[in-house]
Amino acid sequence: MQEAIQAAEFAEETTRFMPPREDVEAELLDDTSIWSSLKSMLKNNKLAALSLAVIVIVILMAVFAPIVAPYDPNFQDADNLRFAAPSMAHWLGCDELGRDVFSRLIYGARVSLVIGLVPTLIAMTIGTVMGLMSGYMGKKVDFIIMRFADIVLAFPSLLLAMVVMYTLGASLVNIFIALSIVKWAGTARIVRAQTLSLKEKEFVEAAKAVGVKKWIIMMRHILPNCIPNLIVLFSLNIPDSIMSESSLSFLGIGAVPPSTSWGLMVYRGKQYLFNYPWLTLAPGVAILILVLAFNFLGDGVRDALDPYLKD
Amino acid sequence: MARYILKRVLISIPVLIGVVFVIFFMLNVVPGDPVTLMMGEHIKPDLIEAFRERMGLDDPFIVQFFNYLKNAVQGDFGMSYKLNREVSGLIFQAFPHTLKLTLWAALVAWIIGIPAGILSAVKQNTLVDRGFMTFSLMGVSMPVFWAGLLLQYVFAYKLGWLPVTGYKTWQAMIMPSLVLGWSSAGTIARLTRSNLLEIMKNDFIRTARAKGLKEGTVVVGHALKNAMLPVVTMMAIQVSSLLGGAVMTESIFGIPGLGRVAVSAIGDRDMPLLQGTIIFTTMLIIAGNLIADLLYSVLDPRIRVE
Amino acid sequence: MNRKYLALLLVLVLGVSTLAGCGAKAAGAEGAPAEKISYDNIMRLGEVTEVDTCDGQMTTEYYDIPFMIFDRLVEATSVGEGISEIIPGLAKSWDISDDGLVYTFHLQQGVKFHNGKDFTAEDVKYTFERMLLPETGAKNQDFISPIKGSQAMMDGAAKELEGLEIVDDFTVKMTLEQPFGAFLASLATPGCGIYDKETTMEAGKDFGLIPEKTIGTGPYYFKSWVLNDEKLILKNDSYWRGAPALDGISWKTVADADTMRMMFESGELDVFDCDYAPTQIGYFMSNDKYKGNTVIGNRVGIYYYTFNQSIEPFDDVRVRKALQMAIDRQSILDNLFDGRGQVLSGIMPPGLVGYNPNLPEIKYDLDAAKALLAEAGYPDGFEMTITQSTNSPDTLSRNEMVQAQLAKIGVKVTIEQVDEATWYAVRADGELPMYTTSWSADFNDPDNFLYTFFAPGNTQKRSFNFKNEALSNRVVAARAITDNDARMAEYQALEKAIIQDEAAWIPLFCKQHIFITSNRLKGFRVSWNGWTSTWHYYDGLHIEN
Repeated sequence: MQEAIQAAEFAEETTRFMPPREDVEAELLDDTSIWSSLKSMLKNNKLAALSLAVIVIVILMAVFAPIVAPYDPNFQDADNLRFAAPSMAHWLGCDELGRDVFSRLIYGARVSLVIGLVPTLIAMTIGTVMGLMSGYMGKKVDFIIMRFADIVLAFPSLLLAMVVMYTLGASLVNIFIALSIVKWAGTARIVRAQTLSLKEKEFVEAAKAVGVKKWIIMMRHILPNCIPNLIVLFSLNIPDSIMSESSLSFLGIGAVPPSTSWGLMVYRGKQYLFNYPWLTLAPGVAILILVLAFNFLGDGVRDALDPYLKD
Repeated sequence: MARYILKRVLISIPVLIGVVFVIFFMLNVVPGDPVTLMMGEHIKPDLIEAFRERMGLDDPFIVQFFNYLKNAVQGDFGMSYKLNREVSGLIFQAFPHTLKLTLWAALVAWIIGIPAGILSAVKQNTLVDRGFMTFSLMGVSMPVFWAGLLLQYVFAYKLGWLPVTGYKTWQAMIMPSLVLGWSSAGTIARLTRSNLLEIMKNDFIRTARAKGLKEGTVVVGHALKNAMLPVVTMMAIQVSSLLGGAVMTESIFGIPGLGRVAVSAIGDRDMPLLQGTIIFTTMLIIAGNLIADLLYSVLDPRIRVE
Repeated sequence: MNRKYLALLLVLVLGVSTLAGCGAKAAGAEGAPAEKISYDNIMRLGEVTEVDTCDGQMTTEYYDIPFMIFDRLVEATSVGEGISEIIPGLAKSWDISDDGLVYTFHLQQGVKFHNGKDFTAEDVKYTFERMLLPETGAKNQDFISPIKGSQAMMDGAAKELEGLEIVDDFTVKMTLEQPFGAFLASLATPGCGIYDKETTMEAGKDFGLIPEKTIGTGPYYFKSWVLNDEKLILKNDSYWRGAPALDGISWKTVADADTMRMMFESGELDVFDCDYAPTQIGYFMSNDKYKGNTVIGNRVGIYYYTFNQSIEPFDDVRVRKALQMAIDRQSILDNLFDGRGQVLSGIMPPGLVGYNPNLPEIKYDLDAAKALLAEAGYPDGFEMTITQSTNSPDTLSRNEMVQAQLAKIGVKVTIEQVDEATWYAVRADGELPMYTTSWSADFNDPDNFLYTFFAPGNTQKRSFNFKNEALSNRVVAARAITDNDARMAEYQALEKAIIQDEAAWIPLFCKQHIFITSNRLKGFRVSWNGWTSTWHYYDGLHIEN
């Protein structure tokens, strides 16, 4: 299972094996130009705009789950509603314990989104700091941090996540930890590469010359210029985390009931594919749509922010 | 060049030791005594003690680690707790299956990914672009076990065209390699697309166009060969990352490869087996990355990574 | 430049295809039988996990192959639904002394092992001693431990089994420490298969792992074993009872239960065990495709929830009784197992000798449960944890139903999931909170239930921490009662005291074991105890293509 590493890997490999760019001088983007690039991208790229809409809807559904969901997701009526087929009363039918699948899907979105966001944020924060330090300070710091990154990147990501979950035990917090451990290194490499090239730029040299402190240079001058890359990474890392969680659920070390995630729902529902297919199709299609949306948005953002790819 | 290669190889060694250490550490702090688990409930305590001593389980952690490392270098990863067989033997039995699956899957990934990437770059921001990218990204966007089950349902159960599981015939390999390959076709397609787009902005492409060459000739003859450089390199990495990706595909399609071994070792808490499998897989990935780096620097002498 | 890339691509493609070729070749060559085997007359079965060994002495989890490649001194056979009978095996007859202490076995003559060696009394002695010697690391000593001197062997104090005597080549005398009513029944368990002395000693650690070295006298011989893929046994043409009708039996290891079901429905397997899809029984039963292909056996076993009496508030019998009454067992059975079974209120399931059909029923009564909780000082309920091992969606469903049911009396349940190994480890330490599992009979005697669960050491090992020592001691003492009726009466009294007075666990139900077979497989039967592994794979089973 390589989903988890793909975003990082994609971004990492593209920077790692980028053809020489001597012929184009990259302009540095400031906040307003990032913003306006994104806006014009959304205007031109209908797919990305649609994806954004899908993501916003899912987020709103998750946030307002108690209002949106027609039923209590854990309310069981096994005697009357077991395997009830989709109907007006239960849009996506009911599961083996007579629980409303649509309501569970809405509440499950909470867990899936949190699993998408939290580890990504943690991993990227760690990765950014490591990457900045490694790139800017160089020498021993660089060597040590990069060897750690190499170690993490050398593992097949799912196996590493499995081992971490196995060591820590199955729980939501441990999923965060496992995925953060797996993912920080990719970000670190990219930020490092960016830092290395920015370090040589005039404005950094100038700041250094007037004696600005190291960490201020990193935070004020280098970090802001890494932001376009980080935005791309962020939007591509979220779907990876969501997919990783579904894999962990398949291996029995994912989300923990009574809260449910989409991945767990797909896994538990798959045994009913033959006669009650909605139990696995509904959450499966939900994952497909959400993850595709994140990927499209991420690609769109990438097209918009990378000066080489713009129209 | 030789110096560069030597440096890359030397750097891999501490990484490899680090990998072994990380896995060894994590698996040895797990609560619960593997020995009781493996020897059953009827064993007398003093026998367990004797066994622990024989296996060196009471030695300090660092001693255990170096003993393990020493044996691992000689190809001895210890005995599987559950299966009572040598771990290295189990790995070498399983590895060919995983390798075969991986290569098939890589082929699928390239067959889907490269044309999709080219077409969507040529027709950037059109329906064709969106369509091909959607198709190649769908693979990453479905849980592998779910996609596998649906394929089995349609092609094996409903249509009866392919066997549900297996690995001995080419028919049996179709679904597993499709599931695994599709899931990384997206990466390939993206990379091809973005590289091609970038190259097409270069002056020499403009010149070629200005000379009145057909768009097809420009793309295939000029842009593609430059854009494929990173993609070719990526392939080496792809193969190694697919190795790790085989975990779930193998479980769904009944392929007795490394992924299956690792997953069942986790379930059985078979630490020597789990350690051995992960370390072996990781070694392959490190080797794959190394080859990719070297390949790239050979292909494009302007770049020396790091 | 151009050429360089082309050359490189070519090299890559070549490299990849060679590698793929190697991979394919290596994959085909290793382990799998060299000659092409036709599956026309081979029964194809599936299982979810790979097994540790096919040496019956060394496993408590896997008996399919040990049952078929070895013979035991006696066999347990089903003579009717849930009724078993001991019939001769490698022992053609036996005498039991009046005091119940001495068993004299007269062995079959002319029986040969798969490799042509003769079976003699020496092999019986060797097999039993091998089981008991500590260096073997066997796991099934319990079944022969009633023999005199077995403790000394297990402790490493003796090299030979005092109570086992070879009278002549075909007569073996066994003397017990004290009378044990279930001794014959326990000799019929799969762990007690007889091995060939020479071959087994020669095989050493490979016995049970390498097919050619795993030799028995059984109706099939061990042909091949590809880990995580397939185990194959083929018929023994010179079997002493007569060769089986099938050419062989194959077990496919399929990690995922739903894949296994897909294989069955697509005709790649001959039998589907509905345990892998308990909620789908209705579907299979009502599906025209499988009309007449359902084989139902009653499992001589019980599903239950435990209490850990070391954890508050389960030290209070009133709380335990309240919980017993607050769980709607019929609803769980109906919804999760299609109602195929019977709610139980004790320990011994129907089909087991000593089953008590007149045991009072534990009633589902929420009001009484609430009243008892209030009396115990928990009018608003309390919080508790149920632990289960991960990767078991069916257990999860059961726990979720109980979670919802207990909420009705104010008890708030957290379901905790840990991996299987941790689950067993914590349980062995006596520290697992409430959990649900099942037990089915190894041999047909109440001892296999009561002793296993409520003997003093065992209640801790299973995390019950049952506190009533008087009752636990009676469970041990019951083993030695020679009068069978008196023994059964004692077991029934103990059952009532432990479950209904002490409320030591929550009995749920026994369950039918349902198999769906392919159209071509005829004569599939379920073993007397409801197990899949049974030596009935030998007789009556055949394939009509």
